[in-house]
Parts: sequence; structure tokens; C-alpha cells
Amino acid sequence: MARLSRRTILTAAFAAVLLSAPLPAASAGDMRIAFGDLPGIESIQTLAAIERAKERGVNVELIVLNDEDLAAQAIVGGQADVGIGAPYTLIQKAGVPIRVFAQISTLRFFPVVNSEFYKEWKDLDGQDVAVQARGSGTEAVMLLMAKNHGIKLGNVSYVPGSEVRRNALLQGTLKASIVDAANRRALEAEAPGKFIVLPVENLKASDEALFATADYLKNNAADVDILVEELMKTAREITENPTVAVEFRNKYKLLPDLGAEADGEITEYYKETAAAGSLALSGGGADAAADDFAFFSLAGQIEGDPASLKVADFWDVAALDRAVAKLGKK
Amino acid sequence: MALSIRTDGEAAGLAASSSRGTTGAWWEEPVVLRLVSIAAFAAIWEVAGRIPVSFAFPTFSDTMVAFFGLLADGSLASAYLSTLQPLVLGVVLSAFLGVGLGTICGLWRTGEWLLIPVFIVLQAAPVAAFIPMVTFVYGIGMTAKTLAVIILALPVIVLNTYKAVRNVNQSLLVMCRSFLGTPWQTVAKIILPDASPVIFAGLRLGVAAGFVGVVLAELLITPTGIGDLITFHRSRADYAEMYATIGSIIALSTLTLVFLQWVEARVFRPEKRGA
Repeated sequence: MARLSRRTILTAAFAAVLLSAPLPAASAGDMRIAFGDLPGIESIQTLAAIERAKERGVNVELIVLNDEDLAAQAIVGGQADVGIGAPYTLIQKAGVPIRVFAQISTLRFFPVVNSEFYKEWKDLDGQDVAVQARGSGTEAVMLLMAKNHGIKLGNVSYVPGSEVRRNALLQGTLKASIVDAANRRALEAEAPGKFIVLPVENLKASDEALFATADYLKNNAADVDILVEELMKTAREITENPTVAVEFRNKYKLLPDLGAEADGEITEYYKETAAAGSLALSGGGADAAADDFAFFSLAGQIEGDPASLKVADFWDVAALDRAVAKLGKK
Repeated sequence: MALSIRTDGEAAGLAASSSRGTTGAWWEEPVVLRLVSIAAFAAIWEVAGRIPVSFAFPTFSDTMVAFFGLLADGSLASAYLSTLQPLVLGVVLSAFLGVGLGTICGLWRTGEWLLIPVFIVLQAAPVAAFIPMVTFVYGIGMTAKTLAVIILALPVIVLNTYKAVRNVNQSLLVMCRSFLGTPWQTVAKIILPDASPVIFAGLRLGVAAGFVGVVLAELLITPTGIGDLITFHRSRADYAEMYATIGSIIALSTLTLVFLQWVEARVFRPEKRGA
């Protein structure tokens, strides 16, 4: 038995060595940014900020992953430096040593109902709705709004993909659901007047934010500062004049796959986004963190009383403070 | 995952109790060796989880605790209730349809030329890539999921049956003819019994593919049942629960295959009994 257990230990040790081989770290001036999703028109601002950071000497490499989780994994594993997403759950539950350092935009979802059946929030009392997934942001928005309007939703079903829910709404399979900006516009274009978009008040949770390990933020402050500054500048420019989004696209040749016809959609998208104040003009910070705590704890993604959660456990606001000091707060 | 190995142990137990005697020392007993293998696996997992290999990699003990937690609160049971519906339906349909089509293709040239290329393509195709296409046609309900199971399970069953029927022992066929067997007797008494080992192997592979299909469907179409438990716990960063769910479906799949092998040996293949 002694022989056996020694062998077991050796095998285990061998496996451990194999699995924990360290990954090479990036050299100074390099920044590998991991997108948790394929960049679309909603990423123009971030992409433009990245291009400008490149112009200022930060050697950025983009890595596109198909899940936000993977972006966080890549950051922790050292295969990427900066991730995009809202990794509150991971920070709290898995205790990963990453911190959010700038908010890019806030969530924008549109509860849509078939006007034949419902007109306003009150009509949804006890009615079935479809959202993205259990514990998703879309579910949290619906629950939050139901709570605000003093109603109780009926059965909540889960249908991943805004475009899938859009088609189901058009086909009549769904009577009430929630979609993103692009699909809401598509619904309005394909069936004018058939659907009513219910108002969503006071929703300010992060949709996308930048995060990195605490060590990276400390050791690469100069690069991080440039990125944060450019992010705030592009957000301010677009909010002031949404048409610059298309200029950014042309200047930096962003999203070439989408072709010229996407320009109209980009202008529309950023007009709406700017009007809704969805782009973070000062990078979020403690205020954004407080909004996120409230929203994500309602969504069940983080635990504990939102008031008792500490900003420092989730955010590193140092870079943001420096950028705000330089550019002024808006 | 640990559970899947336990089922291997049970398989060995079955074999051991029925055939192999008690020759050799106790540590050479298959049961003991399998148990040691499970223990070694669990130990490696535990060590890897404690390093940790990744923040998303729980230890073996955490995963087991999570597994019993899921079992106790009933979420695993209700998840399986919904996962098993498309799975059982899809596998049963594939089994009957697959053996039927495979036999026809094996016996009838025109059928072979019409159908076999389709199934060869289906078997070679990366099916996960066109599961989303199924949703465009059949929506997001039970039909789409059952179809996903069938798409994965059917080709392997058809192809195995077809090959088995085609490669039936010629001297048996000659014997049947010399005894003036009717065509129906040739199929029922010679071809199918002689082809049955390979047909059963195809059915087992088909069931395994059906498990792949149902999990893919639940991850890619709508998260229900097991797929819902996996995606939900992943989104909540409850990795132990996520691994426990994944382990449970692997265990169930392995158990089912072992059970099928046992049924085959006991009920349909007397010559294999005790082998």
C-alpha cells in the first residue's frame, strides 16, 4: 500500500506540475485586451479608444473570446492583461484577484410587449415573459421593473439570444420579452406599431467595464492611464456629437466586415446611446459601483447587502481618479 | 467524473461476480484495482483543485459536497426530468428508425445508394455547428431538442446496422437457401441474429451520441434541465455545482451504457452470458 500511495503522490505531483506551468508575462508597453464577445457596433467607442491608445504608444493586442468568463480566465491565467465585461460574480464568489478600473457603458435593455395584449407594465401582472437566461441581466431588469411597478410577473421562461426572442415576438410565440437596442429597432422596422416598448427607469448598471489584475494595474499605471483617458474622451465626444462614431470608424477602419451600410445603424445606435446617457463620461467609479451592487445583487449575481459591499473589493479607482484629475469630471 | 469511474467499477463487479474466480492475491482483484484507480483519480483531482489549477476548478471534495447539495434540494432531479424527455424520445426513435433504415439499406441496393451517403455525411459533419440551424426551422422547444438527439444518434445506428446486415456470414445465407428458407425467414432467422452484435454496438454508440446531442441542445438551444444547471451555475461562479452537474451526466451516460451491455448479454445474447 505504501508503494501504491507513493505512486499516487508522484502521479498527482506530475499532473500538478504539468497543469500549473506558468505563462510568460507581457513586456512593458504591451497590453493584451480580451473581449468577452465578438465586437459589434456597440464596441466602436471602445475600439476607437484602443486605436487612440495605440497612437499614444501603447502596443495593444486584441484577443476576442466568446465568453466573458473566458476573458476573466485569460486575465487570471496571464494570457491577457485587460478584460471587458462586468465580472462582479467572479470577483466575489471565485475570489479572483481582478479589479474593475473603468466603466465603459451601462446596460440598455428594452422590455417589449405585443400591443394587442398589453399596453403598460401593469398589464404584465401575472403574465408570462421571456428573458435571456436564469440569473441574467435581462431577468434582473424585468424583476426590478416589476417590483418598481408593484406587479408580479407570471412564468419567466428563458430564451437565449435577443434575435431569437425578436423572431418569437414577430411570430407571436412570445407576447412579452426583453431585447437589446439593435433588435428593438429591428422590431420597430419590421412590424411598426405592433409592439410597445415599456419604459425602464433608473437603470444604471454596468454593461461593459474594463478589468485587470491588481498587480497589472499597479505595474502598468502609465499604459492603463492612457487607455482610461482615451475611453473617457471618446465617450464624451460621442455623447456630445454621436455622428463622430462613424468618423471614428472610417478613420481607424473599425469593423471592416460590416461594410459601409452599417454606418447608418451606427449613427442611430450612438444617437440613442448618447441620449440615454449610457456611455460613462467619467469612467464610473464609486457611483457606478454602488449602482452595480444594487442591480447585481437583485439579479442574484452577487451576495450580501448592497450597502455593506466595499467598492475597494471590486474596483481599483486609482487610474480613474488620475484621469478625472486631468480631464475634469463630467 | 468520479461517478463515471464508479460505474466502471460496478461493471467490473458484474464481470467479476459472474466469471473470474479468486485466483491471485487480493490486490490483483479487478474490484480492488478499480477502486484504487478511482481513489487515485479523486486524489489527483483534489490536489489539482487545491493548487488551484484555475479559479474555476473546484476540488473533488467540494464537487462531491455540491453534488449531494444538488441532489438534496431536488434541482438535479427536476433537471433530469426535463433532460430525459428529449433524450429518451430521441434515442428510442433513432433506435427503431435506425435499425429499420439500416436493415433496408443493407438488403436493398437502391436504398443504400439513396440513404447511406446522407448518413455518412451526417456522421462526418461537426453537428454542433448546425444545431442552431435546427432552431431556425423547429424553434426552441422539445422538437428541436429531440431532433438534435436524433441527428447525433441516428447516423451511427444506421451505419452500423447497414454494415452488419451487409456483411452477414455468406455460408449461413447459403445454408438458409438450401433449407428452402423464405426471404422473410432469411431476414428474421439468419441476417438479423447474425448481425445483432454489431447492431447492438451501434445502438450503444447511438445512445452515447444521444447524450452528447441532448447536452449540446440544452447548451446551444434553450437552457433547460442539465444545460440550465450548467450555464446557471457557471454564470453564478458556482463551479463546484457546475462540475457536479457535468459529472452526473457523464455518470448517467456511463451507467446507461453499462446497463445496455448487461441487458444485451443477459437477454439477447445467451452465448455471451458470463463472458
